Amino acid sequence: MKRRTLLRRIVIYGSALLLAIFWFGPFVLVAIGSVIPEANLFTFPPNWFADPPFLGNYKYIFTGEIPQTYLQRGAMRSMVSEEVRWIPYSVFNSFVVATAVMFIVLVLGSLASYAYARMRFPGRKGTFLFVLLSRLIPTVALAVPYYTIVQSLGLLNTRWALIGMYTALTLPFAVLVLTLYFKSIPREIDEAARVEGATPLQNLWYVTLPLSLPSLVGAGLFTFMLAYSEFLLALLVTNTRIARTLPVTLGTISTNPDVSWGLLMASIMIGSIPTILLIYPVWRFMVRGLTAGAGR
Amino acid sequence: MRSQTTATEGRVETKATRPPERRRRAVKSSGLLLVAPAVLLVAAFTLYPFASALYTSTQLSSPILEEKFVGLQNYRDVIISSYFLDAVKTTSLFTAVAVPVLIVLGVLVALLLNEPFFGNAFLRAGMLLPWAIPASAAGVIWQWVFLDDSGALNASLYSLGVTNDYIPWLTTPSLARMAVVVVFIWTQLPLVSILLLAALQAIANDLYDAAAVDGASTFSRFRHITLPGIRPMLVIVTVYEVLMALTTFDLVYSLTGGGPGTATTLLTYFIWSETFTQLSFGQGAALAVIIALVSLVAIFIILRALPEDALVGEDR
Repeated sequence: MKRRTLLRRIVIYGSALLLAIFWFGPFVLVAIGSVIPEANLFTFPPNWFADPPFLGNYKYIFTGEIPQTYLQRGAMRSMVSEEVRWIPYSVFNSFVVATAVMFIVLVLGSLASYAYARMRFPGRKGTFLFVLLSRLIPTVALAVPYYTIVQSLGLLNTRWALIGMYTALTLPFAVLVLTLYFKSIPREIDEAARVEGATPLQNLWYVTLPLSLPSLVGAGLFTFMLAYSEFLLALLVTNTRIARTLPVTLGTISTNPDVSWGLLMASIMIGSIPTILLIYPVWRFMVRGLTAGAGR
Repeated sequence: MRSQTTATEGRVETKATRPPERRRRAVKSSGLLLVAPAVLLVAAFTLYPFASALYTSTQLSSPILEEKFVGLQNYRDVIISSYFLDAVKTTSLFTAVAVPVLIVLGVLVALLLNEPFFGNAFLRAGMLLPWAIPASAAGVIWQWVFLDDSGALNASLYSLGVTNDYIPWLTTPSLARMAVVVVFIWTQLPLVSILLLAALQAIANDLYDAAAVDGASTFSRFRHITLPGIRPMLVIVTVYEVLMALTTFDLVYSLTGGGPGTATTLLTYFIWSETFTQLSFGQGAALAVIIALVSLVAIFIILRALPEDALVGEDR
């Protein structure tokens, strides 16, 4: 018996360790890569830790001051790509778009979800299925028409275009999560308020929403993540540096063969900051929301 | 418009007593009013564009040439093109390998995370990172790992003495394909494990207790309690991941750029390059319609696999 539990623990800790290496290893490598001078990265045999860590890459992104190591070796100078200096601004762009999408989705989503969860009206089942299934049309099938529409509206290279498209693409998931969650709240609470004379909107605002905080945070953050990361549509409708979102700027830099890897690594580190900050709340609230929805 | 008036009346009237028939009607239309913004927005961003794609797919359409109706010509051209068949083959292979591996790993990881061990909470929270960072960033990160001349993986393998030369991961077709699968799994495994973990935790503990009393083995407990318990979630996750695999784009774009050659040109990447680098909008739209039809088949499978009332719920 004792031997079995020991074996069990070895298996558990062993696989947990492997998993941790698989998941976090690449991030560690990126973090290391961002503080090693370019010349040391590309030597054979590897000679990564010859010099102390240097922060020149980060400094260049924020201030434009070209790191000493790049100046010393003349050939390396072309590898300083000016694109990376747009990274902080792209993070800002992505952040603004994602935040706007999150709020719109939460407002429209909770209105619709309340009706789906609590009210009877013609077309209830039909429109619900339509909203959910709409998301199964692959984005790429909509990409060409989106491009034409956005272009004809004169909204190319604007945040408005992105906000509109992302709202439509993320609403279905929010409606699903919120409807399932609203349904899990006992109907009696709702009915009591109705007997007191509350309108559906008052009921939603004063009774249902305060009780649904976990699912609201969960759906909101999930929406934020999707909008923050979306690539295909953003690539199509934004092609100026100032309009680009983070994924597009990263994509552009990475397809530039002359790019300095150190700078690219530093860009990824900077671009990941908002995501890292949101990890804890996502874990805490989203998984609860999903569990509540899935179980019942 | 009519529904709006009724809704306002309904609101005013709530405080007064009124005949039940009228009240029900007011509530009915206000429900429609509440869902209207969401439904209309989704419709505007799916139905119209899709209809527009259907139209474009029957036109000889590009930014430089004049539009002309060509019927199903685009579809024929696309389907007989060897590049298309190549992309279909690559995509099917990718999906057939990546999704089963992903689901099996997902179940294993969910089972692992369901056990108490030191560092469990850290792993649970931290694993969201690969899922949450933009997939295009994931592509870049792994490009750095796999880089041919001096990537991190090559450098590590060399330092550990496993190899004495650099392995060209991303320029060897079979290795590049494997790399795309690995990165896809890296980004998707967190979500799959979490959803399956949520399903695992919803299984009542007394079932396991009863099975333990009956002396059931670990394996038969998994087979007869765990598996049926997570089955609905397994179906949903599998279908979702099939759709994800069929439409993978970002990570191919930033990891391999579809190469070497066309070894990792998945359908979505193919459609994108056909449309926006070759600028043949008509053929791109035809391709898009084809991939949408493939997804419709997947929708049909979901609907058949799920119980009747799984989505909307029982009280209707």
